[in-house]
Amino acid sequence: MKSSKVQQIDNSLYDSIIAGYRGKPGDLLSVLEDIQTATPHSYLTEPAIRYVAEKMKVPLSRIYSVITFYSFFNLNPQGDHTVTVCRGTACHTRGSRALLADIMIKLGLNEEETGGETSYTTDDMRFTVRTVACFGQCALAPVIAVDGVIFSHMTSEKLEAIIKKLSSAKKPVRRRNP
Amino acid sequence: MMRKKINIIIDGKDYLVDEGTTILNACKEVGINIPHLCYMEDVSSNASCAICCIEVKGSKKLVRSCSYSVWADMEITTNSERIRKARKTNLELILANHPDDCLKCDRNQNCELQKLAWELGVREQHYAKTRTKILPLDTSSPSLIRDPNKCILCNRCISVCSEVQTVNAIDVTGRGLHSRVTTFMDRGLGSSVCTNCGQCSLVCPTGAIVEKSDISSIWRDIYDPDIFTVIQTAPAIRIGIGEAMGMESGALVTGKMVAGIRKLGFDRVFDTQFTADLTIMEEGHELIKRISTGGTLPMITSCSPGWIKFIEHFFPQQLANISTCKSPQQMFGALAKTWYAEQAGLDPEKIRVISVMPCTAKKYEAERPEMNSAFHYWKERKKLKNRSGFPDVDYALTTRELARMFRETGLDFAGLPEEEFDNPLGKSTGAAVIFGATGGVMEAALRTAYEVLTGTTLDKVEFADVRGMEGIKEAEIDIKGKPVRVAVAHTLKNARKLLDEIKEGKSPYAFIEVMACPGGCLGGGGQPIPTTWEIRKKRAESIYREDINLGIRKSHENPEIQALYRDFLIKPLGEISHHLLHTSYSQKSV
Ligand code: SF4
Ligand code: SF4
Ligand code: SF4
Ligand code: FES
Repeated sequence: MKSSKVQQIDNSLYDSIIAGYRGKPGDLLSVLEDIQTATPHSYLTEPAIRYVAEKMKVPLSRIYSVITFYSFFNLNPQGDHTVTVCRGTACHTRGSRALLADIMIKLGLNEEETGGETSYTTDDMRFTVRTVACFGQCALAPVIAVDGVIFSHMTSEKLEAIIKKLSSAKKPVRRRNP
Repeated sequence: MMRKKINIIIDGKDYLVDEGTTILNACKEVGINIPHLCYMEDVSSNASCAICCIEVKGSKKLVRSCSYSVWADMEITTNSERIRKARKTNLELILANHPDDCLKCDRNQNCELQKLAWELGVREQHYAKTRTKILPLDTSSPSLIRDPNKCILCNRCISVCSEVQTVNAIDVTGRGLHSRVTTFMDRGLGSSVCTNCGQCSLVCPTGAIVEKSDISSIWRDIYDPDIFTVIQTAPAIRIGIGEAMGMESGALVTGKMVAGIRKLGFDRVFDTQFTADLTIMEEGHELIKRISTGGTLPMITSCSPGWIKFIEHFFPQQLANISTCKSPQQMFGALAKTWYAEQAGLDPEKIRVISVMPCTAKKYEAERPEMNSAFHYWKERKKLKNRSGFPDVDYALTTRELARMFRETGLDFAGLPEEEFDNPLGKSTGAAVIFGATGGVMEAALRTAYEVLTGTTLDKVEFADVRGMEGIKEAEIDIKGKPVRVAVAHTLKNARKLLDEIKEGKSPYAFIEVMACPGGCLGGGGQPIPTTWEIRKKRAESIYREDINLGIRKSHENPEIQALYRDFLIKPLGEISHHLLHTSYSQKSV
């Protein structure tokens, strides 16, 4: 965890988010989602999770279960831009593996062998590279999403151009992750 | 209340069964067993394994009998080629995601998955292994080891931890093929609110949760001529170990247990029941003192280490209610390495205290850093060579581990003669053995407190109100015209109810007994598997039988305890007791 980037958020913000969903079905999900959106670098900090657990009387293990079930929740700070590479079969056969390797090298990230979906963020917090099991856009393979926008028939060249453009942009646009 | 009966047809025959029960239970009631794996009575039915499938007339698909209720005139088939094949396939798919580790597994020969594979006739591997990566073990706990590779996601552990114990240390993480049972942030049981009660290890159908074993260290100590090994056995071992060695449920085997342990090569075989009597002396006097001096009430018992960790995490404001008495295990360790060492002329640094406990949390308790009173005792007397310290209790084995040690030596347990404990730490009363059942500590304390406070002899030593498997039991005793109300809770869920009352200032009790495990220690997380309510009841019967066998039934009448006070401790709650037999607690985060 890049703790240097952690910004302390006022508990009163959490309180008002929690109050807004009190008694509504699916309140835990909504609360977590709103808190993540309100948190710089779009993730759930441990103090935030603990706060929610205490206030909403939900066990920590349960919250962790919920957070790890949904891929849109992040436990680590996310970069200003998110590039999501599809690892579905169709994309795989059309070279998503190489695309992933390319972008990792370009952004200076190291890939670790892990089981499930993964997420890597650059030290300067500019980019996060994630993988998903499948976007469900197999006809357009290989597919990549950049800040939630789908790009089809991706190639290394096209990807490089996109990254370049994002890197030179002065003000990053904040978006929720796909 | 009688449930309405309805008629259903099982395999072409009519049966009357309870309305609203599941097909699986309805069949069981009439003597028809349906193979099942994830389902467990009172614990979990997440219906994940699909082993219990049967045919219901009118339904095209096979039906999971553990989660499907019967209706009037339902026609079911429990045995057909389709069912047999489906069950086998479902099991083979589970096995494809499971290591073939039986030969080296703790649960070898006592594993529901293994047994089912044998029963359903699995002889080949038809499916390629689906688990491609070996997941790391969780060894962070002092008491338990979790091996996620052996987990079949039956949910039993999660459900016990949440519903029976209200601890919620574990839950499922991830989804699909990547689902696993884990703790918050994957930090491991040792960094979680887990109380180490081990109830999850009792219900796990496989070897995915087992106790952390100390057996190899103990063998080493036994064979080391410089080391003097002293073993103590908890009350609930004598009604559990026979069962673990293949005898009937609840078999009372005190004498054989002593003989067997002696054969293993321990230098002295002592009894935790001796210090259970001592606990009653100290705790009884603490209660009397609290009542007469306006101390914090209700006072709550402190012998169940899972319970102690629970209150430290979840109710730190109520810690003043907990008796300062150490548990019998820890009182024993402190005395063995001080008073006994001195008497026997032994170097306390060369003594190893090993305990056999029905409990996985006892391993944690023995490791608690403050549990080193004997070290401080000798340090103050400047009699130590080694200045780094040593624990009062070196190792706590479970009942299951003792059985494993017996088996390693090829012992014919059932054929052993009956032998007696060694002295001076081996003599105990009926009040001590009942510590093993829920309500027992309360009953033992009442036997002593009543007689000390009134100066009269009880006509009847049994307190029936605090016996039995009711979740929370209450009693009122008249002491010199003053009514004293007490309560007994087992399982942490029931303890939580009594604590909530205390928190709200509404508790009417003077004294409360809490045991973390269902049924008390006899149903502890270190006891033989399976442990069901039926088995717990049999173990309890044996405990109350032993209470009568022991002759002396009140702790304060134990002659060895009287001698200990005369020669060493001087008086209950005295200076030496304070240093060796009492402790303090501290808040823990959630
Ligand atoms: S858990 Fe059961 S089936 Fe799995 S390796 Fe152990 S004994 Fe064998
Ligand atoms: S040992 Fe007890 S508290 Fe810990 S995970 Fe198992 S059931 Fe829960
Ligand atoms: S660890 Fe054991 S009890 Fe828990 S889900 Fe896995 S197999 Fe079931
Ligand atoms: S026992 Fe019914 S689905 Fe597992």
